[in-house]
Amino acid sequence: MKDFCLRGLFIDITHKKVRIETLPSDVSRKYLGGRGIGVYLLSKAPTASPLDINAPLVFSTGALTGSKIPASGRMMVSAFSPLTNTISSCSVGGNLAIQMKRAAIDFIHIVGKAKKETIIKICDHDVIFDEIPSLGDMSLGDMFSRFSGFKGSIAAVGRAAIHGCLFASIMVDKSFAAGRGGLGLVMASKGLRAIMIRGSKRPIIHDRGKETKARKDIIRLFDASPAIMGRSGIKRYGTPALVDLIASRRMMPTANFQKTYFNEYKAFSASNIIRSLAVKHHGCYACPIGCKQIGPHHTQIPEYETLSHFGALNENASLASIIQANSICNDAGLDTITAGATISCLAEIRGERYQGKDFVDKVVAMASGKGEGELLQLGSARLAEELKVPEASMSVKSLEMPAYDPRGAYGMALAYCTSTRGACHLRAYPISHEILRKPVAIDRFSFSGKARIIKIAEDLNAVIDSIGACKFAFFGASLEEYANAFSAVTALDYNTDDLLRLGDAIYTLERYINTKRGFTSKDDLLPERFFIQPGTSGPGIEIPPIDRVMFEDTLQRYYKIRGCTPDSILRQDRLKELGIV
Amino acid sequence: MISEINKYLDKLISYYMIDKDSASLFCLDDEIYTNKKEISPEAYYLFEKLNVNSLLITRPDPVVWAIIGELAALYPQVISPRDSESLTFIHDIPVIDVFDKDLVVHALGCRKGCIVKDTGIITTGTVSLEQAFISFSSICFATFVKYFSDFINGLYEYGGIPHPRPDQIEAFLNISPLITPPAGDNPLSKDVPLDEEEIITSMGEAGFSIVGNRLVDSFFGNISYIKGGNIYISQTGASLDELSGPPCQIDCVSLDESSTNDLTSSSELGAHIKIYEYTSDTAILHGHPKFSVIMSMYGPALGFGDTRLVGDIPVVYGEVGAGKHGLIHTLPPAMEESHAAIVYGHGVFCSGKGAFYDAFSRLQSIEVMCYNKYKELVEARLKVNSE
Repeated sequence: MKDFCLRGLFIDITHKKVRIETLPSDVSRKYLGGRGIGVYLLSKAPTASPLDINAPLVFSTGALTGSKIPASGRMMVSAFSPLTNTISSCSVGGNLAIQMKRAAIDFIHIVGKAKKETIIKICDHDVIFDEIPSLGDMSLGDMFSRFSGFKGSIAAVGRAAIHGCLFASIMVDKSFAAGRGGLGLVMASKGLRAIMIRGSKRPIIHDRGKETKARKDIIRLFDASPAIMGRSGIKRYGTPALVDLIASRRMMPTANFQKTYFNEYKAFSASNIIRSLAVKHHGCYACPIGCKQIGPHHTQIPEYETLSHFGALNENASLASIIQANSICNDAGLDTITAGATISCLAEIRGERYQGKDFVDKVVAMASGKGEGELLQLGSARLAEELKVPEASMSVKSLEMPAYDPRGAYGMALAYCTSTRGACHLRAYPISHEILRKPVAIDRFSFSGKARIIKIAEDLNAVIDSIGACKFAFFGASLEEYANAFSAVTALDYNTDDLLRLGDAIYTLERYINTKRGFTSKDDLLPERFFIQPGTSGPGIEIPPIDRVMFEDTLQRYYKIRGCTPDSILRQDRLKELGIV
Repeated sequence: MISEINKYLDKLISYYMIDKDSASLFCLDDEIYTNKKEISPEAYYLFEKLNVNSLLITRPDPVVWAIIGELAALYPQVISPRDSESLTFIHDIPVIDVFDKDLVVHALGCRKGCIVKDTGIITTGTVSLEQAFISFSSICFATFVKYFSDFINGLYEYGGIPHPRPDQIEAFLNISPLITPPAGDNPLSKDVPLDEEEIITSMGEAGFSIVGNRLVDSFFGNISYIKGGNIYISQTGASLDELSGPPCQIDCVSLDESSTNDLTSSSELGAHIKIYEYTSDTAILHGHPKFSVIMSMYGPALGFGDTRLVGDIPVVYGEVGAGKHGLIHTLPPAMEESHAAIVYGHGVFCSGKGAFYDAFSRLQSIEVMCYNKYKELVEARLKVNSE
């Protein structure tokens, strides 16, 4: 068996130097790929300022990409976040991961800063630094059109990043975003406008027979999952399928989280979108789900989070304005969750409502960074500080909460605080069991057992992000099936538990880096609102404020389980056990 | 967490699923909770080595344990069931001779549960004890079905299964009299539910009766009722004896597709809708009665598009859900005339008019018929062989 050593490109963009960087077998086996390799490379400069010339920016694929394993076309972008100052990494789809695999690259590790705006073109072995006349305010839509003749995949930043927006995203193949935490600004700070990749090699699969068997097992579970392939599953409706469900559970953040129910949510529900617009589906490389939707004139249909935050969070029932604002965000490279939450924060502070055209105008300003946009580009935490109302920012570690109110799912409440990149729903993704009943349903209004449930879920999602899989796959399949797939592809004989232990090490390393960056238990806090103000109760559903004592007790349990002291510092014995120190 | 332990211990005991004194249930948060006075070193070790939060170690009821003993003698390392639910969710079941903690850790790192011949069945969960409970119940079901279907197929030389040896026949003749024949009573009301509250009550009672009469594996199946433009259907993963709650585990799904709330509904919602179209009935029950599943597997293996009869009940092939080989394509037309069908290696779907009384009667009578047919076929073959 050939040893498992991840192979990447180290690019010093200042000096336009490129070398092959091959990670030792023990490192590759431990960190797997994707998010794991991202955090490993970031751990070499744990206290670097996010926009420092030597701060790393890492694009990394997982082992499954390029195989026949379903939903395996994801990859990760990792860097220190200029919005939160935490470690950050974003899962992104499209074709970038498969093109990297075909170019025989597991990761791209970029440091430095180009003197002029640069595009890096990678075609198999060739790496070209293309210094370009500044593209200025060119929209990402126009940029992708300009390079439409390129037969590979493109990751690019837009004018939001160029204008210094702290939550600028990186867009891949026009439709897919590495959205959260401002990684687009990190890329722009390196003078890097785009990376274009094209590969021609066939990825190596260790055992095709086992790969086929693993694929069959997973597809069978997809077919059996209502959330994936059911009548209202994401294959048919995309993530907008969640709109009705989250509203009916009375946990749709509304009016900057002052309420948890928006009377007019039907305006942007999946069934309304499908009825009023001709929608086509597409997805990541070789994905049988294809959860992305395109409307008329190639307009992207927003994801659930965007619909909910541009809609309910801003009490905006205009579907047309939501779609238009989403297009502006995609064209400028803006994270839609932070965008929607920052505008709603401003609306609360000013006692105003921004709906329809007013909402769109705010997004336009945000994208340009001009006038009021200068303030909006800071994100809600800094904006609220500037306006002397810090409590109006609905964020943890300065990252805005997505579209699941923590009063409606207590595992989610805990996960927002323990997440290593701020208030993120994807680090533990408890919506899977608290709302979608997968793998089993648990009581969303209880803290019982949640400390360990969230810890295990964080480890699991660290694995998912490190092997190139999509989280939606786990609404049907489990790590048991994906462990078999991983072994079939790589020849590494890891079972479920082996992988979860590696996920534990990856997550713990992220937490360790954050501690080195100055984060403490004081940063693992929910905004005060959730402990004192009830949500919007409805028929048969009470949404009380979260019990602070229960919450804090559960957080302490979590620290203990994760191997931390009561003030959230990782214990030395735990770090040694995981091979981190 | 203690209440969760008590809930599943109570289910295991009250439904006669376990050898009572052997059950050890554990939940782990920042400390271990258990039904036992002391936490065994084995449990400590398993929690230390496995990234799980729940653990169930128990012997199943003596009949299932005897069956597992027979299967484990034939398949000393791994038992590979062929029924549909196991193929989908359990895959296969590792077998270990004696409790070696590292072998158990390895087995549970690969699969949801394992059999340890000197201990019992060990299963785990990463979210809740319910997962361990489901896996335990599924292993009991899978081994039961495999044992009896392999035996009859071996007798009749189907599917390449070797003819049972004399000692296996002797063991079978010792085990089979211990099986409790399916019950024939129908406790459900014939009254048609008039409003949503009555529908939910009626579905709760039907679900409870299916579990009580052991017409289902792992407490899962699905139930629905149609009224006006809505279908009331059990949620995915809902335990049929807990449908009416609290919390209520029934979704009201509008047929006009004006809502996507059925994201949490049973994976067989699409099949239920089509069954209503084919039959114009008002109630559907789906269970996994063991001998119906076993008899559906008697004979050559079926593939997509194949059908046969057990008595006058059609057997169709179809995988769970709405995939290209899903039962949504084959089951509804098969039920048009018979109002009942068995999905190969999976379970029985029955429909009826009015409340759940008719559908429940069909479900029961099919299981009784399959049980009797099984006995007749086996006795006939053994008689021929002995002559």
